[in-house]
Amino acid sequence: MRFSFTEDQRLLAETVREVLDKACPPETVRAAGEPEQESVRPGPAWRALAEVGLLGAHIPEEHGGLGMTALDTVLAYEETGWYAVPGPLVETAVAAPLLVPAEHLAGIAAGTVTVSVRPACTPYLPDADVADLLVAGSAVVPRAGVTLTPHASVDATRKLFTVDLDAGPGGEEAFDRAALATAAQLVGLGRRLREEAVGYAGQRRQFGKVIGSFQALKHQLADVAIALEFAAPLVYRAAYSLTHGAPTAGRDVSAAKTAASRAAHRAARTALQVHGAIGYTDELDLQLWLNRVWALRPAWGDDGLHRARLRAALLDGPYEPRSVRLP
Amino acid sequence: MDLTFTPHQQEFRAEVRDWLAANAPAEPLPSMDTAEGFERHREWEHRLAEARLAVVSWPEEYGGRGADLIDWLIFEEEYWASGAPGRVSQNGIFLLAPTLMAYGTDEQKRRHLPRMARADDVWAQAWSEPESGSDLASLRATARPDGDGVGWRLNGQKTWSSRAVHADWCFGLFRTDPESERHRGLTYFMLPLETEGVTVRPIAQLDGEHGFAEIFFDDVYVPGDGVLGELGQGWKVAMATTSSERGLTLRSPGRFMATADRLLELARESDDQTLRDAAVEAWTDSEAYRLHTFRAAARLAEGIELGADSSLMKVFWSELDLRMHELALELLGPQAPVAGRWLDGFLFALAGPIYAGTNEIQRNIIAERVLGLPR
Repeated sequence: MRFSFTEDQRLLAETVREVLDKACPPETVRAAGEPEQESVRPGPAWRALAEVGLLGAHIPEEHGGLGMTALDTVLAYEETGWYAVPGPLVETAVAAPLLVPAEHLAGIAAGTVTVSVRPACTPYLPDADVADLLVAGSAVVPRAGVTLTPHASVDATRKLFTVDLDAGPGGEEAFDRAALATAAQLVGLGRRLREEAVGYAGQRRQFGKVIGSFQALKHQLADVAIALEFAAPLVYRAAYSLTHGAPTAGRDVSAAKTAASRAAHRAARTALQVHGAIGYTDELDLQLWLNRVWALRPAWGDDGLHRARLRAALLDGPYEPRSVRLP
Repeated sequence: MDLTFTPHQQEFRAEVRDWLAANAPAEPLPSMDTAEGFERHREWEHRLAEARLAVVSWPEEYGGRGADLIDWLIFEEEYWASGAPGRVSQNGIFLLAPTLMAYGTDEQKRRHLPRMARADDVWAQAWSEPESGSDLASLRATARPDGDGVGWRLNGQKTWSSRAVHADWCFGLFRTDPESERHRGLTYFMLPLETEGVTVRPIAQLDGEHGFAEIFFDDVYVPGDGVLGELGQGWKVAMATTSSERGLTLRSPGRFMATADRLLELARESDDQTLRDAAVEAWTDSEAYRLHTFRAAARLAEGIELGADSSLMKVFWSELDLRMHELALELLGPQAPVAGRWLDGFLFALAGPIYAGTNEIQRNIIAERVLGLPR
């Protein structure tokens, strides 16, 4: 029993953090919401993630990737959440390697092929306008020649589209892996929002005092800290279960996704409340992380879907108390 | 990351499980807050100690097995899953003992720890005072040097002292420097409750039992070896172990995992979707607490102190415990008012957000020490 990460796993996350700190400032995220995004294509953050190997992390070595596990990258995906990296990252680098023909894998790892994926539970393809390939269930088609219908979405930097494509169900493993990476991003987003809120509470003054000294705000922020602190281990556990093909993997992913969603939402609500009216503006960068939380919460299975999977695992099937069964 | 248990750990788990299956009382013992129940719980502690299962993480010389944190967590999972009785010795073995091991003299350790492990001596705490609850540092009970030049005279009043009605010894903080204020000038004392001048007055709790008491000190003599740690350093001594293992050992995950597993059994019988979802969420939270604890154990093994993390944990487990019991009573519906164990558990869980530092104090600590917000 050793619930901790290896040096290499921590190093990958640190490296991702370092490159995104330069390549993915809020201006870059904001630019992804501009209407001309299609001509911009995946930008500097995407190239940086290709260079450090994250785009090819889940692609076998013979196709130019690193052949890593979910456990190897889960901390790195948290960082991509912290920076609200634009583009279909989870779809391209986590789901697509399990769904597209091998000929595309080298391109994905190199950052030259982007993929948007539509799981069965949603009608929407995220960031399809910047994708080279579209995956909907069992169908994999080049974007060129497909008519995309845009839908105004809560997050301008993660555009949603529908297409006229009928196909059978997609891969279950790809779904679980993408849901896990999304959960990790939500934890990272939640931590970013906590950081922004604590920073603002520590400098904004009212009644002659910094507002962070008021207990009413302290306790709200403490609750955010608690929610994030206890969501993260569920996310790491799910990464472990997926990596080792544990029979509980689906359940563990759903536990991770619902807990991460709740924690990130609490962080978002609190960060907005702490900022007050300025937080409710488009001008302040805070909105980038707020809207990303609200976009990712229903992505790769909304809370209802994951709750149903938890109910099925814990209430409807046979359940052995935990101390009886080893993890 | 490795979430499997070693063959040694699996053997230990099997030993604990088998022993509990063979020895744990089939029926719940009477409340430990009654005279009879207290002695029955003390007898149970004797049996645990004879199997060297009372304090597995302590050094062997004091009655333990020198087990590491993971083994202790395994023990706790098995203990609470088995439905074995609550631990009447817990204030001593979980609150005092880590401090005693860190600050006690060899003589103090030899004298107190083995008897504590066997519950020959059951310890009560003497922290709060009528005017000093959350604001513990304002405490006013005093200790003045006795005329003999080695001992002390204690005066004042302590309250909310769990188990003090039937316990043998108490430990707590007293002001040794009359000029001092707040956290300074306090000293950590240990003394027998039978000492002349000590009066214990029971307080009936919400459930009608005398689970806690007031303790009055009227010129009570305590010899020099009743001081734990340095004179005037009582606050530091009392708080020092919160960032180490004690942060973990106050409430182990095993207790809440067992409750969550029993809650699932109730939810499986229910067709109320709201309650079923809430039960599943509570189970998920109990799993989060377990995993978080394993992570904290890994950090401690790497030499990283927990710091104020124990405050995050305290808020989380106490509110989870209460939520699970509230849910169970809702699931039981009309049976709730007569639901024996669940009802007792609910009443006990209600105290969780209050004792060991109220959750409001814990949230202040989290805001100031984890998040760095100004005081």
